[in-house]
Amino acid sequence: MKGRLIILLVAAAALLTSFQLYAHHSFAATYFEDKQQTIEGDIVQFMFRNPHSFIHVEGKDEKGQPVRWAVEWGGGGQLGRQGVTRETLKSGDRVIIVGNPGRNPADHRLRMLRLKRTSDNYTWGTRPGETFD
Amino acid sequence: MPRQLKFAAFFVLTLTIGVPAYAQIDFTGEWAPRFHEDQPERVAGPELGDYLGLPITDAARMRADTWDAAIQTLPEWQCRPHSADYIWRGPSNLHISKEVDPVSRQILAFHGEWLRSVDNIYYLDGRERPSANAPHTWGGFATAKWNGDILTVTVTHLKEGYIRRNGVPRSDLATVKEHWMRHGNWLTVVTIVNDPVYLSEPFIRTTDYQLDERQLVPPYPCDVVEEVDRPKGVVPSFLPGTNPSLEEFAQRHGLPLEATRGGAETMYPEYRKKLATMPKLAKE
Repeated sequence: MKGRLIILLVAAAALLTSFQLYAHHSFAATYFEDKQQTIEGDIVQFMFRNPHSFIHVEGKDEKGQPVRWAVEWGGGGQLGRQGVTRETLKSGDRVIIVGNPGRNPADHRLRMLRLKRTSDNYTWGTRPGETFD
Repeated sequence: MPRQLKFAAFFVLTLTIGVPAYAQIDFTGEWAPRFHEDQPERVAGPELGDYLGLPITDAARMRADTWDAAIQTLPEWQCRPHSADYIWRGPSNLHISKEVDPVSRQILAFHGEWLRSVDNIYYLDGRERPSANAPHTWGGFATAKWNGDILTVTVTHLKEGYIRRNGVPRSDLATVKEHWMRHGNWLTVVTIVNDPVYLSEPFIRTTDYQLDERQLVPPYPCDVVEEVDRPKGVVPSFLPGTNPSLEEFAQRHGLPLEATRGGAETMYPEYRKKLATMPKLAKE
């Protein structure tokens, strides 16, 4: 009973707290939210922007063919409050990314869940609050 | 009584008696959206194939069935704001300001500014509606009038938009009626969409906001980039009958597929009786 009350209070607080949200499109309509995919490759472009940032990563598909992934990340304002800046990632950085795959396979899209840079083990998505809307 | 004395008495009376020129409720301030209604749809986003409770026509259903969310990665779509009717339901904070006539002190217009939207102007100065051929915009052309303490707004001249963010369209021929109501620190807005193309009945929703004096709508520069590497000219879409995701919603929630296809009937409480007799898709 006490546990349920706490959950209810937390849910109510989440609904009533004033916060900025940046959801523009429906993630459920864009990605398979119940699936995860891991990719590894080199960053070729980091677009830190609104409505959402994008990282383009060049890697290889399951057949070993070169492929360019478009990984969707949070908007500039939201990521900025998490310590991410436009200087955080650079072209050439080797990264491993876990994300929800896009519904259109030809687009090679992912919705970012976790990121790790192999050169210095920088991570995003592993600590509380490192999410985006 | 000497004439000067009468004049002085009248002057004092006008200074001391606070008579509002009109019953004008002040809607100005910083308003934070509250998600008591339809939170999953409004924040996380609607699921594909969920048209429940929408009084849509067959034409709207076809548009939604052939819609591909990937279209929003096209440069033309990336910075597109929510239209005047949908923006109330969006997850953005709202700043309302007003313009006041310097002489009469009457409110001439309210301005609604949401994050990631345009300046929505609601004219109270009695101006005429423009020609039907005038440009259609995201904010449309909105006039307002007082109805007691309720502000009633009529919006026309909208660009095509959507009533749910899973591809369910609203045409540029639609007319939107809004009723703004303030109760203390709460703002409730009723929106009624009439669309001769995509709706068979008026579509009515209410949305609540709460006054938040610590809020500030931040700037929102939006850059158009190549979000996804795809051949030039490709417009993501599905041909009729080829969208593989339309049954997911019914399967995930164990609902009758027919119900998820929407239509005016699905808006009404008595539809529950019919729902109980309909075959449901097995939960995944």
